[in-house]
Amino acid sequence: MIHLQQVSKLYRTDRVETTALDNINLEIGKGEFVSVMGPSGCGKSTLLNLMGLLDEPSSGRVALDGKAIDRYGDRALSRVRNERIGFIFQQFHLVPDLSVADNVEIPLLYRRMSNRERRKAALAALDRVGLGSRTHHFPTQLSGGQQQRVAIARAIVGRPNILLADEPTGNLDSQMGDEIMGILEDLNQKEGTTIVMVTHDPRMADKTHRVVRLFDGRQVQ
Amino acid sequence: MTRHLLKLVWNRKRSNALMILEICVSFLVVFVVVTMGLFLLDNYRIPLGFEWKHVWNVRIGMGRNEASAGDAAAQQATLTRLFQEVRSLEPVEAAAGSFVVPFEQGGWEGTYKVQGRNVEMGVDRATVDFDKVLGLRLVSGRWFEEPDAAQSWEPVVIDQDLARTVYGTADPVGKALFDPNPGERPFRVVGVVRDFRKGGELLPNGNFLFRFSSLDHPEGQSFRNLLIRVRPGTPAAFEETLVKRMQGVAPDWSFEVQPLPQVRATAFRFFLTPLIVAGTVAFFLLLMVGLGLIGVLWQNLLQRTREIGLRRAAGASRASVHRQVLLEQIVLTSLGVLLGTLLVIQVPILHLIGVLSDKVFTAGLLVAMAAMYLLSVLCALYPSSLAARVQPAEALRYE
Repeated sequence: MIHLQQVSKLYRTDRVETTALDNINLEIGKGEFVSVMGPSGCGKSTLLNLMGLLDEPSSGRVALDGKAIDRYGDRALSRVRNERIGFIFQQFHLVPDLSVADNVEIPLLYRRMSNRERRKAALAALDRVGLGSRTHHFPTQLSGGQQQRVAIARAIVGRPNILLADEPTGNLDSQMGDEIMGILEDLNQKEGTTIVMVTHDPRMADKTHRVVRLFDGRQVQ
Repeated sequence: MTRHLLKLVWNRKRSNALMILEICVSFLVVFVVVTMGLFLLDNYRIPLGFEWKHVWNVRIGMGRNEASAGDAAAQQATLTRLFQEVRSLEPVEAAAGSFVVPFEQGGWEGTYKVQGRNVEMGVDRATVDFDKVLGLRLVSGRWFEEPDAAQSWEPVVIDQDLARTVYGTADPVGKALFDPNPGERPFRVVGVVRDFRKGGELLPNGNFLFRFSSLDHPEGQSFRNLLIRVRPGTPAAFEETLVKRMQGVAPDWSFEVQPLPQVRATAFRFFLTPLIVAGTVAFFLLLMVGLGLIGVLWQNLLQRTREIGLRRAAGASRASVHRQVLLEQIVLTSLGVLLGTLLVIQVPILHLIGVLSDKVFTAGLLVAMAAMYLLSVLCALYPSSLAARVQPAEALRYE
């Protein structure tokens, strides 16, 4: 489903060139739940950004369902992100000035649909993560775990078939982390959503189908 | 998307309040300046009612005799000879006496009672031939004639505006005007001229009344201005000849010659200078507001970098981000303009400025609105293009 072939990513400044990823070859199959592990700064988030079409590789090829994305323009990339990929971030990235339901609706704003359809889908996604009663709350009125559930609802509201989660339990205590992990496992098992999750927590990684390990930008497992 | 943006702007009302206030104040300033300009322009387009080219005004100073009522007969004789002398000069086509001078500030404003209600109007006392000097166009009746001085009633000529105010669509000629005061001769209309705008092109039209001033009647010798129509091409040097000839008739009197085009130019300066000053101030204010808006927007967008990254990750294209920032700015501008409009519409509701027509008011409002939207969009273009250019991965990492 996601294919990375000899992918490298360099960050250049005037004086320094940093290799974030070095010659990565990776295949993520449909319906897989893969975790990415490694020490801080090893390139995990960069790998996730490349898979999520948020960044471009310095060299190599990223393909989605066999189609290389390097020739896609901004509009086409945006459409792929909107329709096929959902993102979950460690920092939640909720818009503080919008209610829970309005936050969840964000991906649907970039699709042709009515306000009513949009709201219906957002409420369904919030029900799916157990927050159907908090739709009018604002993010600051929620706990960390609840905020991450809102972020998951936002990620799945457009029914993408790929979920990319960057340390989704990193800011949560173990109980809340388990709850979030439960939701992700459920999405993977019941809806066949392909999930790639960056984590530092071996306990969470053990629950996934496969672990990819990075070290200094290189794939070591 | 519009609903989403409205919610976003509304939920950020506290942080947006200053920007909305800034837009509101700028809108008010632009409205005032634009409306002033449109008011003058609208007035300028209305016919003036007289011809000012080739007309000179001679202001007469009667010196020691001016205050002496006892010398009325001598004064009358001198004025008669002055008229004869001036009319005998070859470049002079016509000459007439007038109490007020067209285009000059101030003058004679009167309030007369008509059928129990007060009617305001500009007033002048003028002699025979005044219509010829200023090229007044009669629409009904006639101008004054010397025998009018001997009538038991006082002849008056009114302009169309006053005719409409008092008589509606009826012909006023031969009819009495105003409710006479005890002991005064009643006014009777002998003619109607086209709207006469004594204040010039930049002032609004208003009622105007001409009373007769006769050289044969001491009561009528109240004019201090001699208006002369000269032949086209008369050189400025004629002024010297004119004064010399008049001085020959009345050595003790003083004569100051000023062509009406000069008086008109002075009047234009009087009205346009404040507008130019206000316009310049408004321009620099808008420039400052514009630069301020760019800075505030830029700062706001920097603070919202991660939100922009999130939107890009959720499927917003560069164009969508660009559009969103512009639309947000348009929503903010609309709130500022709405607030300003609520204040501004108190002017017609409370009749604060009577001379402002609905047409000018509406046009001023629309132009000020358009100016604010244009300014806002222009100011949002650069920050929004910067926001649209940011890489999603970088934006999400932004601290």
